[in-house]
Amino acid sequence: MSGVRFRSRSSLAVSLLVPLALVALTVAIGANGTPSLQGTVTTILCNLIIVLGLQVFIGNSGVYSFGQLGFASAGAYVAAVLTLPAALTALQTPGLPDPIATAQLGPLLSTLIAAAACGLLAAAVGLPLMRTSTLAIPISTFAFLVVVYNVLANWDAVTGGSSALVSIPRTTSVESAGLWAAAAVAVALAFKWSARGYRLQATREDEVAARSLGIGVMKERLVAFSLSGVLCGIGGALAVHQSGVLSPTTFYFAATVTTVTMLVLGGARSVFGAVLGTIAVASVNEVLRGIEGGAEILGLVAIGDTPGLAAIGVGLILLATMIAMPNGLTGGREAGELAWLGRLLGRRRPRDRAAKSPWPDVPNAAEMVKAERARDGSLRAEGISVAFGGLQVLRGVDLELPRGEALGLIGPNGAGKTTLVNVLSGFLAPAAGMVRLDGTDVSGRSPNRLARTGLGRTFQAALPFPHLNGLESVAVGAMGVGVGRRDAVAVAADVLARLGMREKAVLPAGSLPPASQRLLGVARALATGPRYLLLDEPAAGLSEAEAEELVAILRGVLEDFGCGILLIEHEMSVVMSLCPRVQVIDDGITLRVGSPAEVQADPAVIEAYLGSSYLEVASA
Amino acid sequence: MTELAQNLIDALALGSLYALIALGVTVVYTVMGMMNFAHGEFIMLAAYALYVLAGLPFAAALGGALATGVLIAIAAERVAFRPVRNADLSAQLVTSLAVATILQNVVTGAVNARPQSVATPAVLGESTELGAVSVPNLEFVTLGLTAVVLAGLGWLLYRTRAGLAMRAAAENFEMARLLGVRADRVVALSFAISGALAAAVGVLLVMQTGQVSPTMGLTPVLIGFVAVVIGGFGRMVGAVLGGLLLGIVSSLLGAYLPADLVPFRDAIVFSLPVAILIFRPRGLLGAATGEARV
Repeated sequence: MSGVRFRSRSSLAVSLLVPLALVALTVAIGANGTPSLQGTVTTILCNLIIVLGLQVFIGNSGVYSFGQLGFASAGAYVAAVLTLPAALTALQTPGLPDPIATAQLGPLLSTLIAAAACGLLAAAVGLPLMRTSTLAIPISTFAFLVVVYNVLANWDAVTGGSSALVSIPRTTSVESAGLWAAAAVAVALAFKWSARGYRLQATREDEVAARSLGIGVMKERLVAFSLSGVLCGIGGALAVHQSGVLSPTTFYFAATVTTVTMLVLGGARSVFGAVLGTIAVASVNEVLRGIEGGAEILGLVAIGDTPGLAAIGVGLILLATMIAMPNGLTGGREAGELAWLGRLLGRRRPRDRAAKSPWPDVPNAAEMVKAERARDGSLRAEGISVAFGGLQVLRGVDLELPRGEALGLIGPNGAGKTTLVNVLSGFLAPAAGMVRLDGTDVSGRSPNRLARTGLGRTFQAALPFPHLNGLESVAVGAMGVGVGRRDAVAVAADVLARLGMREKAVLPAGSLPPASQRLLGVARALATGPRYLLLDEPAAGLSEAEAEELVAILRGVLEDFGCGILLIEHEMSVVMSLCPRVQVIDDGITLRVGSPAEVQADPAVIEAYLGSSYLEVASA
Repeated sequence: MTELAQNLIDALALGSLYALIALGVTVVYTVMGMMNFAHGEFIMLAAYALYVLAGLPFAAALGGALATGVLIAIAAERVAFRPVRNADLSAQLVTSLAVATILQNVVTGAVNARPQSVATPAVLGESTELGAVSVPNLEFVTLGLTAVVLAGLGWLLYRTRAGLAMRAAAENFEMARLLGVRADRVVALSFAISGALAAAVGVLLVMQTGQVSPTMGLTPVLIGFVAVVIGGFGRMVGAVLGGLLLGIVSSLLGAYLPADLVPFRDAIVFSLPVAILIFRPRGLLGAATGEARV
């Protein structure tokens, strides 16, 4: 559409094809090997699917789940009972109801059913689990893993209890596992680069900023958790049809540690990392197992007690990775984003080219996002009061911000300016008072819902998305309010051009200087197409010339977007030149609302800023 | 009536044990902000010290277990956890998972993967009659030990300089550091305390079951985690309450569930915290902190 893209076609191709080539190579090695090697390679490929499942959730959300192997376990059991012949089912799991007990499905159908079942299970389990806090999710998911184990090990009539199910048809070949793994790579990449994927990544980078862009953290996590459940279920189903035996410990604590290690070693944020890490850890593991002595090589999801050497190796790899390179082998980047890999493949550095080439014409973001935009309307706060413990921060503050106007909000430090913005944007519930947006009472709405209603904001701290580049960071703003990926890129390109930040588009937001990060925050909020934009000290850290530039940019925003701007700012020249009206608050109450000149002449305002003694001296 | 009293005492004893586990996890969490998976392995190693020192007088073996718990904890902090002290919670959690795996499998390799039995003093296997209620002596030991530990920890935290430093570090690690609290010492001390608590739990577990195994730490550490989550992260009192609650619920479920559901007791117990977290995402005593200031 616009010609502006997150990544060049060649970078995209490399990111997709390199991991696929690694999978193909693994398949090729396995297919031409001894039967024992074939089994090992098939198991590695099954593990890869599970690790990709972990990547979808952990990599994109940044939240560790230790429960995903529970889905692999569930998928394996579903696939096993669906494929066991009726006679064997009657022996091993006599309590199964009839259609399942007698069913003897083919490998494809049973895998698909297992995948669907695990997706549903993950959605059902995730619904309560994702409600818990970021701190609690690792623990509550771990508890889920134990619950799955406990049920599988004790529900003898249906699962065969703690003894292993045996004689499960061994239908998974190296090739079929390879095909599934390749599909899983494509799915994981497609998810990561979808609007949903970007929204989730934004919550990983900064939860608060993501919410201010309209992103529902819980919902995005739940979607990824469910997709992860599907992939883990497929991995489990394929693995059980490789080994032919299954017990509740097959996918339990040890397998959790192994798969997490694979993900972390490669670099959790990267799909390529998941592939690389799986192959690397699996290789080391095989070697260690060889040393361990004579034990039949079964791959990683081993059954029975192999005395610890391989597991110690896995633990040491994990420990060393966390201490020495927490971003993993890939640094969290995809194959197309790795400079050394680019050189290896003889590509020119795409970054330089993108920065130099002029941007093609992009459609006007203002046009795209202001679908319905009546010119009138206002953001009103009525009688807002807030107390932190015994400290009364706001006492009955009113505020009115009409569409298309800039209102300056000034006051000494501690006056309650940011608290008021937090109330307006839904981050803080006031003890009393009401917020109306274009006449609708929006008090008590969540920040993300308010953002989708047309309320954008920035923060005093820039809260950048360090691992996303400038273009992605801004596009997330549009995606957060439901704009599709393609359009979001176009909007982001336009907004960045408006703010004179084109050259920042390809740089990771975390590498920008603070002033640029703050401006990027403005761009991000603008991309949500706000009707009202609340800016918390956007000019902090800017030079005089840059501040003037910012004023010009904001004038353009007022004109083109027609939104109202509430500007908190200590740099008076910025406030005075942009805002026809200024509201002064001090100690939680409004001192004065008026034109800049009126406000500056008001004795009460001068006293609040400079103290009463100044007034006496000045009048003397 | 008698049965109820009996069950309540059993429940309280189990709750005390769980509270000790949760305290061990919390002591480290409050100071360093890390949920330590390897706490279960500290418990396991202290228990193995009893197994290895079985030939010595019982008191000496107890001392050995205590020393093992403390030393392992301090060593793990120095080698593995100090380098990731400033990493985020997830990274620290995964690091501790690595340490847990290594310790567990070192024991598997050095001793055996299978459970080993350990002889315990006969008196602990007997019961004392209190009216109609018969209380296993071990439960007296558990309750008494918990009371002593709580009192000791309270004294340490609120009556000593080291405790003051720990509480300061728990409030705001960086600020405490700027004010002259020696960070390395405080963290090491918290690990030492955590190791001592782990040793106490390890000893009690051996007394209870009469055996040790490399994976014996897994369930306790999960119980500790869950109790901490229920109680509200980083609150010592919350951890104790969470542990008590979990133990009491677990024990009563064991006593009153229909027989064919008893095997699923763990599943029910570990589903509980999720139910609590849905209604109180920060746990029972969780403060309103943790939400990023904007």
